[in-house]
Amino acid sequence: MLSGQHDSARDSDIALTRVTVRHPTAAGEVTALDDISLETCAHNLAVIGLNGSGKSTFARLLNGLRTPTQGSVSVGGLDTVTDVRMLRRKVGFVFTNPDAQIVMPTVAEDLAFSLRGRGLSTGQIAERVAAVLAENGLAGHADLPAHDLSGGQKQMLAIQSVLVAEPSLIVADEPTTLLDARNARRIADLLLGLPQQCVIVTHDLELAARCDEALLFDNARLITQGNPRDVIDRYLSEIVARP
Amino acid sequence: MTMLGQYRARDSILHRLPAGAKLIGLVVVIVAVVVPPPTWWGLGAGAVVVIAGYLVGRLGLAELWRQILAVRWLIVFIVVVPLIFLPIPTVLATAARVVIVLLLAAIVTLTTRTTEILDAVERALRPLRRFGVNPDRIGLMLALTIRTVPVIAGLAGELRDAQRARTGRLSVKAFVVPLLVQSLRHADDTADALAARGVE
Repeated sequence: MLSGQHDSARDSDIALTRVTVRHPTAAGEVTALDDISLETCAHNLAVIGLNGSGKSTFARLLNGLRTPTQGSVSVGGLDTVTDVRMLRRKVGFVFTNPDAQIVMPTVAEDLAFSLRGRGLSTGQIAERVAAVLAENGLAGHADLPAHDLSGGQKQMLAIQSVLVAEPSLIVADEPTTLLDARNARRIADLLLGLPQQCVIVTHDLELAARCDEALLFDNARLITQGNPRDVIDRYLSEIVARP
Repeated sequence: MTMLGQYRARDSILHRLPAGAKLIGLVVVIVAVVVPPPTWWGLGAGAVVVIAGYLVGRLGLAELWRQILAVRWLIVFIVVVPLIFLPIPTVLATAARVVIVLLLAAIVTLTTRTTEILDAVERALRPLRRFGVNPDRIGLMLALTIRTVPVIAGLAGELRDAQRARTGRLSVKAFVVPLLVQSLRHADDTADALAARGVE
């Protein structure tokens, strides 16, 4: 376990205790995660592995989108099953495909949607949305239809819609997979520069190498946890190179 | 892609009117157009109201034409199919009434942000809470419906292109089944996204 370098992220420390996740499929029951235990308080945590290795299931456990079949998951001291309502205020989730994440028709409305039900007045919400748009160079895009944005702009909107709610942990599931190199770099820089703790599931090994710590999953098991360079070397030599 | 009734930011009296007032006004005008027996004078008056609405809302006649283009296939459908059973004047009068109603509704959505419409709908439905109706849930459902139309249209476009690239022609079966599967998958992803954003 590596120590987090940012005290502000302390309330988002992650702990999994003997977690197994199984789900039924047409071919029978599949084990998505098998007896995983780990603790981390790394500020930026990369999660790497082949397709179907259990990375996304791990990510979804962190804000209660998936629940463990056995074992327990704790984020910032909150149990992801019993404290799920509070947990979702603390843990923001960025999906691979922003089209699934953007639920309102226009840019400003989608940002405002994240702030509904938080006891803010319409004026306060509008003020906060305007500030976020201005900070990200999107001030002229407020009333644009979300589906007219480019892929990079959509992913930026999806991330800002998460950030506007000020979560203490961001979980991003392959946030750069659908983007070109320039937009992927912008999104990576944004995520790695956040004051919040950030868990990034990725196939982009350059991005993984920039994190403080990395996890390697294979066949539903956690293979190793540690320095990203060492974890990536092991991934390439033992898993990617496997016939 | 031209989407029917997408909000256009302008500075007009229609934009400044409260969403609730616009929705009530829309219902009144629609009743006036639809309930009386159709006459050419009545349809003419409806057309004048539509044109006036686009001009007062500073949307312009070009926007009116875009909205007509957006419903052109619907117009073809509501004209061609009834022609089998009904006389031409009746079909044209009915089609004209439908188009007028759609264009009037588009004036409301073109001049009102979706969130303002949702707030108005939620406020109007609040008294029904005692009967188990959840106004927030209905408002969200409306917003998702509006948001999902361009997404499904995008999926359909991709499938059409993929078919053309592989076979050079369109097959209805090979189009509908994957579109249904992808739409259901999108619904699942959206449900996850809503849960992740704290919607229960």
